[in-house]
Amino acid sequence: MSDKNGNRFAEESLNNNHIEDNKQLNDLGKLSELRSLLLGIEEPQLNRFYEKLDNPQVDAEDISGILPEAIVLRTMKDEQLSEAMVPTVEQAIQSSVKKDINILSQAIFPIIGPATRKAIASALDEMLQSFNYALEHSLSPQSLKWRIEAKQTGKSFAEVVLLRTLVYRVEQVFLIDKQSGLMLQHVVAPKIEAQDPSLVSAMLTAIQDFVKDSFNVRKHEGLHTLEFGELTIWIEQGPSSVLAGIIRGNAPEDLRLVFQDAIEKIHLLLGREFKNFSGDTEQFAASKPYLEACLESHYKNPNKTRYIYAWASVGALAIALGTWGVFEYRENKRWNNYVQKLQAQPGIVVTKTGKRNGNYFVAGMRDPLAIEPKSLIKQANLNPKKLDFQWQPFLSLERKFVIKRAAKLLQNPKTVTLKLDNNGVLQATGSATREWILSAREKEPSLSLLGITEYQDKTLKDLDIDQLNTYKKEIEEILVLFEQGTTKLLTGETEKLSILSSKVQNLIDAGNSLEKDVSVEISGHTDTEGDFEANIKLSQKRARSILNYLTSQGIDKNRLTTKALGDQNILRPESTPEDKKVNRRVSFKVIIDDVAK
Amino acid sequence: MLQKKICMVGAFATGKTSLVAKFVYSIFSEKYQTTVGVKIDRKTVKVKEQELNLILWDLYGEDEFQKLRTSYLRGSSGFLLVADGTRKSTLQTALELQERVEGSIGKVPFILVLNKWDLQDEWELDAESIEAIESKGWIVIKTSAKTGLNVEEIFYTLATKILEE
Repeated sequence: MSDKNGNRFAEESLNNNHIEDNKQLNDLGKLSELRSLLLGIEEPQLNRFYEKLDNPQVDAEDISGILPEAIVLRTMKDEQLSEAMVPTVEQAIQSSVKKDINILSQAIFPIIGPATRKAIASALDEMLQSFNYALEHSLSPQSLKWRIEAKQTGKSFAEVVLLRTLVYRVEQVFLIDKQSGLMLQHVVAPKIEAQDPSLVSAMLTAIQDFVKDSFNVRKHEGLHTLEFGELTIWIEQGPSSVLAGIIRGNAPEDLRLVFQDAIEKIHLLLGREFKNFSGDTEQFAASKPYLEACLESHYKNPNKTRYIYAWASVGALAIALGTWGVFEYRENKRWNNYVQKLQAQPGIVVTKTGKRNGNYFVAGMRDPLAIEPKSLIKQANLNPKKLDFQWQPFLSLERKFVIKRAAKLLQNPKTVTLKLDNNGVLQATGSATREWILSAREKEPSLSLLGITEYQDKTLKDLDIDQLNTYKKEIEEILVLFEQGTTKLLTGETEKLSILSSKVQNLIDAGNSLEKDVSVEISGHTDTEGDFEANIKLSQKRARSILNYLTSQGIDKNRLTTKALGDQNILRPESTPEDKKVNRRVSFKVIIDDVAK
Repeated sequence: MLQKKICMVGAFATGKTSLVAKFVYSIFSEKYQTTVGVKIDRKTVKVKEQELNLILWDLYGEDEFQKLRTSYLRGSSGFLLVADGTRKSTLQTALELQERVEGSIGKVPFILVLNKWDLQDEWELDAESIEAIESKGWIVIKTSAKTGLNVEEIFYTLATKILEE
């Protein structure tokens, strides 16, 4: 202290006399040098030291130097610093959110995705575990007992399985005011039914008081455990409140540490609220996370490899459902195609389709002339045994059916073609005997019953035996002429062939109408040039070439015959080349017979 | 929600339990009173737009065999002192109990409830003694557990007094 005073004195002298002579300055300098030599301390350092002593307040710069290390050391020691910082950090977050929500959103965005996935995976895992337990025990002898229990208690089988494989589960946790027994906070595990927690809290307090009063326990001792059957109540005492956990099963002693930790943290966090408590329990909402941390549970055989039961079952179920789905889809598609096809058929009207007793059914109306619906089943790849039909008969006015019915009524010969137009007018074309034409006209009133509005036969040719003979005569008058020694027609003869073809067809039609068997004999001829055999062959070739032409024009081959006459039946004596030309010919003979009945 | 602990004390068979039976929410049976010595009920009242949960500790009626367990009174915000109007002795017990309660938990709002008003023919309490009690600043309310007379009133009045404290 004397040094300090001496120094001050020296400094004051220096300040007061700095304008005085240099001699004094030199003396002071020497004095400082001497002090430095004696004490070993540099003067600037000493001055800073004095400044610190004069100003006892710690400045921010000093704290900033030691704060990080101090935080690390305290965090390593215990959790009190973290707990104490919670309200400040919460307030800081609230302020940040109020100020600009985007900053915090952007900061936590990268962790939201993984956290969500983890939560979902965890929930799925728990669900699978529960499912697995249920499956694993569903076929054991014990399961029968549990099923009976489930029936008796009204719980689900899975619930009973979980209950019976339970080691322990904290079902409810109460935070109770020690003084009044009022419930400050209460949490309950999922799917647990809880009675009114405020009444239970009060009763628990009363029971504690009852035990204390009845058994003369020391004032500060409290009730720690209550047991009733498979239920245990653990009570942890805090300075102002108690934490009571309702546990089913046998909890390990380690769980007490969790309870103790929770009550300690709650008191650290809400010390002021406990002190000022006057019935408002909302201010204890902050204790909820600590209480929820106490809701632990533990089940037997949590062996993950057993998940194979659940996975196998889920997999088998998925495969079965998938296969069933594919077959069902395919069958439905086939069924729809079949119904569509059926609806497109003339003479069929589908009014209702569906499935009944596992079988498909079709109901509607069907014309007796329409296609048989069962004949389409094979095409649709459907099982005929799984199809039921309900048809009501009706007469369709489809053109196809009307013509069919008219033909049946009129008994028209093949030479008559029936056509029905959009106005319901039936037209008969071709040729027929007078007898048939008259009989058809007589049946016109009956045709109206089939939906025909009018019958017309104006273009129908009236045939009789005279007409047939006319055709015969016309055909037999035709001669087709050839060049000498070949089967090549003379110029201009080709046109005769088309006329011939038309007349032969008319002849055959007329023969059919008159029920006559008509045929045409084609005779080949040569002139007298050349030897006999060569002429026979040539005449055969000529007759054959005409036959080929007629059949190529659609004339029935069975109606045609050929004959080779060579030069045996010349038409004219050959005195001029013109006579020879006429002899190189093919002639026709029509044979008419009655049809053998 | 605001919660308050209320105790109900009085001599044996003054009708404490019957008084509230129809007017409160309960999950415990009456045998708790004879075993543990208290039965807990809940009554929700609305005072000046504020809902208040009264946790009602219905204490076993004091008789020659069993004394009041004062530990049950701890933390009470108020109490109902119940006497049977047809038995004068129960009023005396109530007065003694009031002193003991106050000695145990200090001064808190309370109401003297004179029950069984439906039995006026058998009424033993005279108007003078009631007036004398009222003159001390006590609130005295006549009730009937049988007819429900003033039952809601006692809860409402006590809750109001507690909130005024």
